[in-house]
Amino acid sequence: MIVRRTAVVVVVVIAVVAGIVASLALGAVDIPLSTVIDALTGKADPGPLRQIVLDLRLPRTVEAIAVGAALGVAGALLQGALGNPLASPDVIGVTGGAGFGAVLILIVFPGSVALLPVGALFFGLLAAGLVFAIAWAGPNPGGTGRLILAGIAIAALFGAGMTSIMVAYPDRVQSALFFIAGGLTSDGWSDLKVVWPYFAVGFVLAIGLTRPLDRLALGDDVAESLGARPRAIRLIAGVGAALLAAAAASLAGLLGFLGLVVPHAVRLASGTSSHTYVLPVSALGGSALLLAGDTLARTVRAPIELPVGPFMVVIGVPLFLFLLRRAV
Amino acid sequence: MAEPRTTASLTPALEARDVRVEIGDKTILHTADLTLEAGKLVAVVGPNGAGKSTLARAVAGMQKTAAGAVHWMGDDLAKLRGRKLALRRAFVPQRARVPDGVTVTEAVRIGRSPHLKPLQRATRRDNAAIERAMERTGVTKFADRKLTTLSGGELQRVQIAVALVQEAPVLMADEPTSHLDLGATVAVAKLLRSLADEGLAVLLVAHDLSLAAAVADTVVVMSQGRTVAAGPPLETLSHERLDEVWGVDASVQASGHHTALHVAWLGRAGDHDNAS
Repeated sequence: MIVRRTAVVVVVVIAVVAGIVASLALGAVDIPLSTVIDALTGKADPGPLRQIVLDLRLPRTVEAIAVGAALGVAGALLQGALGNPLASPDVIGVTGGAGFGAVLILIVFPGSVALLPVGALFFGLLAAGLVFAIAWAGPNPGGTGRLILAGIAIAALFGAGMTSIMVAYPDRVQSALFFIAGGLTSDGWSDLKVVWPYFAVGFVLAIGLTRPLDRLALGDDVAESLGARPRAIRLIAGVGAALLAAAAASLAGLLGFLGLVVPHAVRLASGTSSHTYVLPVSALGGSALLLAGDTLARTVRAPIELPVGPFMVVIGVPLFLFLLRRAV
Repeated sequence: MAEPRTTASLTPALEARDVRVEIGDKTILHTADLTLEAGKLVAVVGPNGAGKSTLARAVAGMQKTAAGAVHWMGDDLAKLRGRKLALRRAFVPQRARVPDGVTVTEAVRIGRSPHLKPLQRATRRDNAAIERAMERTGVTKFADRKLTTLSGGELQRVQIAVALVQEAPVLMADEPTSHLDLGATVAVAKLLRSLADEGLAVLLVAHDLSLAAAVADTVVVMSQGRTVAAGPPLETLSHERLDEVWGVDASVQASGHHTALHVAWLGRAGDHDNAS
């Protein structure tokens, strides 16, 4: 069992390293590995290749790592906190809210496109806030069923808002499609500079939640017997997941699939559900998958960049189905 | 019944007086008293909806109380939170969640968490406690199996191991045998009784009156949100009381280690039409 878990970690780490190398070296222009290393260590001569590595590919690689890790962790947090295998950032309304915010900026205020990450982040967190407010009001506050139903309702509301905007401005829909399909851009460090604190807080909350989430695995009653507070744990996990998923959406659009599938793949492959294992390995797995998907999206039809969402599904689904079939 | 080991402690492990529980504007528990002592097994019995589980959960700090005084080893429940409370009482719920992909050992390990500070690793002492709890409940032989593959009886013993590894002086179990077959019920009953004999204070919420009569030192009878009687099982579960509380013509009888519930299932002769 320990062998299997270690093997999964080794495979995932190798995948992340390979993904980083590919992400930096491959693209519209293929850059030799030695030049990439020289550029990173500051030894390369100033020139276009150095500039491509440092100003375009490096920020994009870092974004892929951060977004992939954030979605993997957000999914694992929610699946653990809600005790529901279907939980993902979609369930607490973040994806719907972020989609609405992005479409609002891209279509209604195309002049303020710089505000795209802020808009996605704001509406993603607003949607999650509404979901928590509804779920924590009234009798039995913080119950799982209430939270999931509130999430579905709010997600539907923002989804309807998004569709309405697209219907109202049919000629501008094109500009929003890339975001909805999900994809990274080569915009340098500016977006990351805005959203990194949200990633940071989300990851710190996730570290603190590893053991509380394990207690929750045996049900609310056992968790309470052990002195934990299930509703507080669920709220904190929800806040952490909302921060991570909203920040991820603001950089890379709607990639909710990643949050759903990665933690399952980690559990199925390793044979354990312990959060001390699943949370960090889901972070690595999410990064690896997004690095691979993004590199493919940039190279398959280079110099045209395709949205990464469909590619991740193409890579992720067969892998996931293979694991699922073996798990029974 | 084995002679329970006495302890020197003068303060009862749990003392609850006039506990009242309201949910919304409905009173679920009107007034209930409960005392638990080291080395004794107390069974709470009563009809469905009498408030047995509510009382157990309220004194365990898992259900808000509207009134009353609850003291654990002399300390007010209101001042005990989190790990402090978890080190005084362990609670085996009626139906715990059975998560996917968790092994027996992993589950019992989770039960040890009140002894660990956040992010602290298990020490050798913790691992010894985990092994002990698994031995004691007889789950060691399927330690590496997933919870989802266990039978009801095996699962219930794992739940008791999860509670036991907390090493709290009080063990509370809410209807631990209600879904079990006869053999598994006997195994759980023997386990709880021997834990009490070893010095734990044990609370058993039970449906089965003959089981309660066989294992308990004291039986607490509940009816319509109140504790209506408490005392030695056979005296407390008298024919009159069974009639009064359950509305049936029945009696609990004992001879040696055997107990039996004799029930006039179809009521007294000529009386089965007006049974309500």
